[in-house]
Amino acid sequence: MPTTKPTTRKLTDLLDPKFMARLDSLDLLSRKILQGKLQGERRSKRRGQSVEFADHRPYVVGDDLRFVDWNIYGRLEHLFLKLFLEEQDLTVHVLVDTSASMGFGEPAKGLFAKRLAAALGYVSLANNNRLTISLFGDGICAQLPNMRGRNYLPQMAEMLLSTEFDGLSDFEKACRAATASRIGCGVTIVVSDFLFKQGYEAALRRLIGARYDLYVIQVLSPQEISPELTGDLKLLDIEDADTAEITVSAALIKYYKRNLAAWCDELRNFCTNRGAVYVQANSADSVESLVLNYLRRIHLLR
Amino acid sequence: MEFLTPLVGLYAAAAAVPLLLLLYFLKLKRHEAIVSSTLLWKRAVRDLQVNAPFQRLRRNLLLLLQLLALAAILLALAGPVLDLQRGPGRRYVLLIDRSASMNATDVAPTRLDAAKTQAKAFVASMRSGSTLSWRDRSDHAMVIAFDQRAGVVCSFTSDKRQLAARIDEIEPGDSVSRLGEAVTVARAFAQSSSAEANGKSGEKPAQLVLFSDGRIADLEGVLVGPDELVFHRIGESQDNVGITAMDARRSYEQPQEVEVFASLANFGTEPVTRDVQLAVGGNVHAVRSVTIPGCEAEAGDDPFRPGQATVSFSLSHGEAGVLEVRQLGRDALACDDAAWSVLDPPRRLSVLLVTQGNAVLESALKACPIARLDPCTPAGFDALDPTVFAARQQYDVIVLDNHVPAHLPQCRYLVFGAPPGGIDVNSPGEVENQLIVDWRSQHPVLQYVNMTNLVAARSHRLVLPRDAEVLAEFNESPAVALLRRYGSTYLIAGFDILQSNWPFEPSFVLFCYNALGFLGTEAGDGRRHALAVGEPITIENASGETTFTVVCPDGAEVEMQADPSGVVRFPGTYRVGVYTARPPEGPPQFYAVNLLEPQESRIEPKDRIELAGVAVTAQEQGVQRANVPLWPLLTLAALALVCIEWLAYNLKSRI
Repeated sequence: MPTTKPTTRKLTDLLDPKFMARLDSLDLLSRKILQGKLQGERRSKRRGQSVEFADHRPYVVGDDLRFVDWNIYGRLEHLFLKLFLEEQDLTVHVLVDTSASMGFGEPAKGLFAKRLAAALGYVSLANNNRLTISLFGDGICAQLPNMRGRNYLPQMAEMLLSTEFDGLSDFEKACRAATASRIGCGVTIVVSDFLFKQGYEAALRRLIGARYDLYVIQVLSPQEISPELTGDLKLLDIEDADTAEITVSAALIKYYKRNLAAWCDELRNFCTNRGAVYVQANSADSVESLVLNYLRRIHLLR
Repeated sequence: MEFLTPLVGLYAAAAAVPLLLLLYFLKLKRHEAIVSSTLLWKRAVRDLQVNAPFQRLRRNLLLLLQLLALAAILLALAGPVLDLQRGPGRRYVLLIDRSASMNATDVAPTRLDAAKTQAKAFVASMRSGSTLSWRDRSDHAMVIAFDQRAGVVCSFTSDKRQLAARIDEIEPGDSVSRLGEAVTVARAFAQSSSAEANGKSGEKPAQLVLFSDGRIADLEGVLVGPDELVFHRIGESQDNVGITAMDARRSYEQPQEVEVFASLANFGTEPVTRDVQLAVGGNVHAVRSVTIPGCEAEAGDDPFRPGQATVSFSLSHGEAGVLEVRQLGRDALACDDAAWSVLDPPRRLSVLLVTQGNAVLESALKACPIARLDPCTPAGFDALDPTVFAARQQYDVIVLDNHVPAHLPQCRYLVFGAPPGGIDVNSPGEVENQLIVDWRSQHPVLQYVNMTNLVAARSHRLVLPRDAEVLAEFNESPAVALLRRYGSTYLIAGFDILQSNWPFEPSFVLFCYNALGFLGTEAGDGRRHALAVGEPITIENASGETTFTVVCPDGAEVEMQADPSGVVRFPGTYRVGVYTARPPEGPPQFYAVNLLEPQESRIEPKDRIELAGVAVTAQEQGVQRANVPLWPLLTLAALALVCIEWLAYNLKSRI
């Protein structure tokens, strides 16, 4: 495959080979074991055809006689059905924010988001999960739907690497589109800075559903966490060119930090109250430690 | 607290405060900075404004600090002083001595400058009225500078700037100091002010504040009340050598020869040796070394006596010129180190003899070294026009032999017989058989004249005015007298020589010789060319249109116009030295203005001055400021505020 070689190399631009080797041992985990379309490698709550025994239940008319436990019938002369845990495939949906605001920061939040998405995608594809990666700004900008298997790695890397952070953000529009195309059950991971002027609540409400685990990863740059601004400034919004005139003072910085903390807490509470998991990341931190340590600790990865 | 210059502060405030506020209202030029989202910043700004009501004040902390700093600077500009005195305003008269001794340099730069500095310090510590205060508690002062005469430098005012400026304008003088006139002037000014209150005000009399070295000529005659006069002594040293007398004369017989005498006095305690230099017309002629003994201090009844030494020079100089005697040692007082004398060109006398015929007198006069002797009859003399005669100045001496002329042109007269009328000499009758009983053999006219054997058969009885000088006396009447009247000099012998045995005496020829010599020295302009400091230069017989240029010793030139009577008067001889009067045509005339005052050359400052009935002791300390200027503190405060403002700005923008 001469065309895929350069793109495969490109994945190493995002992920270190050693890191990838460590990711090989990981798998994505869903707290809700949900029904998939294909028979997968995953236990689901639904009892079905599997090798792992789960329970017995009395036979009722119409049950498949193949699952009758004849040993029990021999001993007890009652028909019992053997129930097995059905292993299903997991749908992983990674939504990455590519609006202009993600290009901000040193190091840029966007790069962090891309690497995180690449790592999660790698883990998904390596474990034969159904992976959908959507890049959104003002709606869904690009999407690689329903990938399964390592063969899709170059495609995923190509899309992530070719993405530029530009344009406005409309989170709700993107979520509407994402949920519409969503099938099956699994995990939805949203990577963004969540600095949406129109709010994130309605959009997140759409993503939270019975069949999907929602992971909200908020990426902030060090410049946003503790800004190093001085003097009398005219702040220019990188997305909509909105301006704010400020005179930087200790008090103003204090109020900014307080507001940022409140904004993040609000998002965390919103997620926690609705069974979603909130993760905050600093773009200056390493993606490796986040993936290998933190995400494992919260049982997104195993 | 009061303000010295409140208006300056107000004007500056009117300009500066609106400017500062305007600067604050001007739109700030902001730098642009890109952020990921303005969402949180806008919330933070809103919180800042909403949640902290004091933030508005806090934002204006810089303005507040700047306003405070500006206020401090403006206050400093207004010149506030913290007054350490209490009570109502007082009035002071500052008497500043500017006499010759105040030019001494024992106090750097000069005593007068030290006095001016102290006077200004005194003025600075006066309380000044503020435009912001509701009642006038300010001190008033006037300044009088005095030497021989007193001059009001500045009349009563509370304007310290004006007072200080006027004190600075006081020029030094070279004359003696007299306090009486200054005190009289001070009282006149002080009383005219209190007279407004009908003399019933409880105001204290004006305080006299004297800045002097105490060398004042008329202290005994000055009457001041107790505590009316405060004396600030200026000066430290007493060491000074000065020329106290100087004269230069041509020999009568050999007019080329000039004798110069000078007397030097040492006012220090140690004997000194000084070089004395004689210069003629600016060229050094001779230098002599003179040792002058130290002074004798006052002890009991013995008065102070300076060490004295005289020096004389002889030189041969056949022309007019200016002689300068100068002692070359350096001492504290410079104006008494030199003395000048103006030398007239040598000349022989022209004599007019008015007589009916007197061979004895004529031959005696002819024996004298004179240029010419013109006999004239009394009728012919009376026929002359006196004004034309005076203007021509043909004759140096007029000899009147027994003639009472109708007019007396201005001249020098040798009178034998009846005295002329109109000069306050009366002759009520005649006396007979008179013998000389006494004569002044020391007088130049009677030098070497032995009058013992003189007998007059008849003589006029002379009744002389008080100022006449009697040189010889008969037993019943003055025989020979010297009198000066209306610019003329009269040497009167009140008897006809032909009525006496004098023609047969050798003393007669000697008398004629001496008399012509004496009157001849009076004849020149020499007397009028030697002046004391302050004495005006008078040039007579100038035509009305003539303009003289007077060149002062310091090189300044003054144009003087003759008045209608043909007299030019230049009063500005305040400094010693040679003054030159240049007429439009003809040679310049020189005038020597000398100090020659031992009183002023003695520069030892007095600790205690004895006024009439009151002794005033000098203040122990010089004048100190009695108020504290606050502007340096305010300037410091302004600096500190600016520093705090800078800090506040940085703290605000850094974190």
